[in-house]
Amino acid sequence: MTTSAPSGRKPRHLTVDRIGVYAFLAIAAVFFLLPLWIMLMTSLKTMEEIRLGSIIAFPSELTFEPWLKAWASACTGLDCNGIRVGFWNSVKILIPSVALSIALGCVTGYALSFWRVKGANMMFGILLLGAFIPYQVFLYPLVRIFATTGLYNSLACIVIVHVIFGLPVMTLLFRNFYAGLPIELFKAARVDGGGFWSIFLLVILPMSTPILIVATILQVTGIWNDFLFGLTFAGRENLPMTVQLNNIVNSTQGERTYNVDMAATMLTAIVPLAVYFVSGRWFVRGIASGAVKG
Amino acid sequence: MASVSMAAEAAVPRTRRRWNAAASLALLPAAVIVLVVYLGCMVWTVRLSFSSSKLLPVLDWVGVRQYSRLFANERFLISVENIVLFGVLFIAGCLVLGFLLAVFIDQKVRSEAAFRTIFLYPYAMSFVVTGLAWQWFLNPTLGLQKIVRDLGFESFTFDWLVNQDMVVYTLVIAGVWHGSGLVMCILLAGLRGVDEDLWKAARIDGIPTWRVYLSIVLPLLGPMIVTAVVLLATSVVKLYDLVVAMTHGGPGIASEVPAKFVMDHFFERNNIGLATAAATMMLISVAAVLAPWVYARYIRPQGRRA
Amino acid sequence: MHSIRKILLATAFACTAPAFAATASAEELKAEVLHWWTSGGESAAVKVFADGFTDAGGEWIDTAIAGGQNARTAGINRIVGGNPPTAMQFNTGKQFDELVANGFLRSVEDVAAANNWRDALPPAIVKATNRDGQFYAVPVNIHGQNWLWYNTDVFSKAGLQPPKTFQDMIAAGPKLRESGFIPLAHGGQNWQDHLLFDAIVVAEAGQEIFAKVYGEVDTDAAKSPEFLKAVETFAALRGMTDEGSPGRNWNDATALVITGKAAMQLMGDWAKGEFIAAGLTPDKEYGCTVMPGGYVMGGDVFVFPKIDDAAQKTAQEKLAGLMLSPETQIAFNLKKGSVPVRLDIDVSAMDACAQTGVQTLKDPNNQVASINYIASPDLVGATRDVITQFWSTPSMTPEEFVEKFVSAMDSAS
Repeated sequence: MTTSAPSGRKPRHLTVDRIGVYAFLAIAAVFFLLPLWIMLMTSLKTMEEIRLGSIIAFPSELTFEPWLKAWASACTGLDCNGIRVGFWNSVKILIPSVALSIALGCVTGYALSFWRVKGANMMFGILLLGAFIPYQVFLYPLVRIFATTGLYNSLACIVIVHVIFGLPVMTLLFRNFYAGLPIELFKAARVDGGGFWSIFLLVILPMSTPILIVATILQVTGIWNDFLFGLTFAGRENLPMTVQLNNIVNSTQGERTYNVDMAATMLTAIVPLAVYFVSGRWFVRGIASGAVKG
Repeated sequence: MASVSMAAEAAVPRTRRRWNAAASLALLPAAVIVLVVYLGCMVWTVRLSFSSSKLLPVLDWVGVRQYSRLFANERFLISVENIVLFGVLFIAGCLVLGFLLAVFIDQKVRSEAAFRTIFLYPYAMSFVVTGLAWQWFLNPTLGLQKIVRDLGFESFTFDWLVNQDMVVYTLVIAGVWHGSGLVMCILLAGLRGVDEDLWKAARIDGIPTWRVYLSIVLPLLGPMIVTAVVLLATSVVKLYDLVVAMTHGGPGIASEVPAKFVMDHFFERNNIGLATAAATMMLISVAAVLAPWVYARYIRPQGRRA
Repeated sequence: MHSIRKILLATAFACTAPAFAATASAEELKAEVLHWWTSGGESAAVKVFADGFTDAGGEWIDTAIAGGQNARTAGINRIVGGNPPTAMQFNTGKQFDELVANGFLRSVEDVAAANNWRDALPPAIVKATNRDGQFYAVPVNIHGQNWLWYNTDVFSKAGLQPPKTFQDMIAAGPKLRESGFIPLAHGGQNWQDHLLFDAIVVAEAGQEIFAKVYGEVDTDAAKSPEFLKAVETFAALRGMTDEGSPGRNWNDATALVITGKAAMQLMGDWAKGEFIAAGLTPDKEYGCTVMPGGYVMGGDVFVFPKIDDAAQKTAQEKLAGLMLSPETQIAFNLKKGSVPVRLDIDVSAMDACAQTGVQTLKDPNNQVASINYIASPDLVGATRDVITQFWSTPSMTPEEFVEKFVSAMDSAS
């Protein structure tokens, strides 16, 4: 699993096969890019042009007004500050949520892989089943639990919720990754007298970079794109960007400003997109390093 | 936690038991979450499905009344049909397209990184955004149909989004668009792990490339495919946002799904009893499908080396 | 492990600290109001309340969440979770029944009695906001739900008179289609299908049957020939929409009427805001007609969760009084597009459509309580599924529909 060179057939000169390969990839690329293209083009057009023109055409008159409006002055209710407020709220939620959920998943996966604790596998089994339950089922009891602890509608509350729902997949990722590490390493560390935490910090963690990257990418996109939990648990001071996006996109009475809607949508998607564009290569490498084996 | 799997544990004494206080402590947060949140909510849900709860939960007992109402409810039955159809087509579609993309990208193509990014980026988008974008593109009076007709093909029709019989397939299209990049990534990682010698051997024997992929490489990717299916399946059961953003469950009730049924009855319709009955049915179905796999794969083997 | 605990604790502490600070300084008259009025015209209307409250020396904290269901979910969770807003919006009707029954809301009977609300409001509204003889909600507006909006230019081009009844609408269909227009602009979302259906039932089966079906869950009423006739009319309208109708937002449908692509739309009076925003005047470029059978009244209310804090209680009473004061009522409803819930005030400042609405409402025989007033959310939902399915399935016959409708009534009762 260490080689990362393409393993397919050796490339030959331009033949029918090669043309076929590129044609397929090009057609697939069009299919994948089309929605993004439509959104981008729409966000750069004036409303007149949107009403008259084709949705895939390039704007005859470029305008960045919708982007400015979406960011800084689009209204939800009496508040006309655009979605920038939500952006910072999302960042505030994202950082602790990603860090804590990965930390917990990492430690849990490590404990499950290398240590024996009674009933641990049973627990893991339930956790895996939990990954398939629709979130809606949890909303109401969780609200009650948080209300009794006094944490309801706070930043801590939404962070804990993300940690809870990130746990199954995070644990699965780390457990499977650690299952692929050579056991001799661990045995040697034990012989040297390493304890639970010292082995984790000195031996296991330094080897975990690829899987940490995969986990970070998955959690950043998942948590950033969350709407339901943010709406229910974050409280009005911390409403994430997705909630504000919904406020802007779903509420316009009067003319629906599609260009502003699309700009707001793209602004909301920019963080996870940036993460993918920057780290896409490591993502594949991380997976290749055994992270997601069955 | 209870030592439910003691028997299996004892059967695989690969090394000596190392009980460790720190390890138990480290698992404590996860154990608390599993007990309180996952198990607790499951029990709570099942209990309420036997109550007459409306807007607020009450703990009375009405037997299986909610269930008989549920199974007489046409919308729920359609929802179940839809989720099965969607699930099968979505997972199959993502696997096929993802595999093809992985294979084609693995042919030492130029600008591999660019292609990979293009195929993977939809996974970074939320289902809401995915739904909105595809709703636009597939709307017959705004999108694809209009574009083609404007090009001069007046009789071109593509009305799946507003056609009761076809609307589920538009959800599949949007879902495949969203998820096949992830499958591609996972399988690409698998392809890179295939031994170079295997290719040499196949070439010497003169086996056509497609045969090698189909008969030799594909089976090697088995574990990877399982992972991909698991990841995709979690989003199938939870399918909600995409439907709301793209079709609102319509036309009529043609694209309703169970999670939306639960959500609507839980909140808008103030009918927690019926909502939890539907959720319980989902829970049971998921457990019935998954439990054997989870048991065989994760519980029985008792931690490979502990 | 210890490190994680520490981080968790630290985060928890760091994040709750500001929350405590916020509650501590809530000594002045602050009112946090949760509602789903997020669009342009709606926000302007909320601003009337907000400004009124600010002028009275309070501070308005606006919590707007788009989408009624989202807002209600968030609000109910907060009320049940013990962190309620000062006031919260609901639709007039039964949505908040259980909150009252479980003691989560306070009565505003004192304010109501002091201001003679009972005399000023239509009986159906009093009924919809009272529980056990006490006001538990403040109604703020009446939205007419059975208005027909039409483009006058389209009708004159097609050489037709604007319709006054649903039969007129059906009759006009073919001619409008021939002249190149979409006869009926409709957004095929379930609540819009339901709105249209109810308007037809009121017009063709009559108020009484309407009230029996939804209010008393009387299945015989739903099996009556009058009801079946309304269903047949509903079925006949199916063919009058366009291909892009399913899933369309209501305001996109209104835009079709405004731009002259479609002839008419049946929608609540909130649609008026669209025409005004497009710079059109009533009776000139567009027309508005209340469909026969009465004025189907929807609307919004505010409820006040029980809060121990004395300042919050004062704020709630202030808000309640303010929302129903005659001046606020006029100013608010001018922006909102609805009509005042008080029938005892001068409405000459309002537009022609609103005045028609108020005139119609003055006759108690025209005051028809809409489905939300009289039916449980469960019944609303169960019948909605059947209605929307029928609307989108041309092959389903009216008789089949009635059968399904009746079993939906049975299941939700």
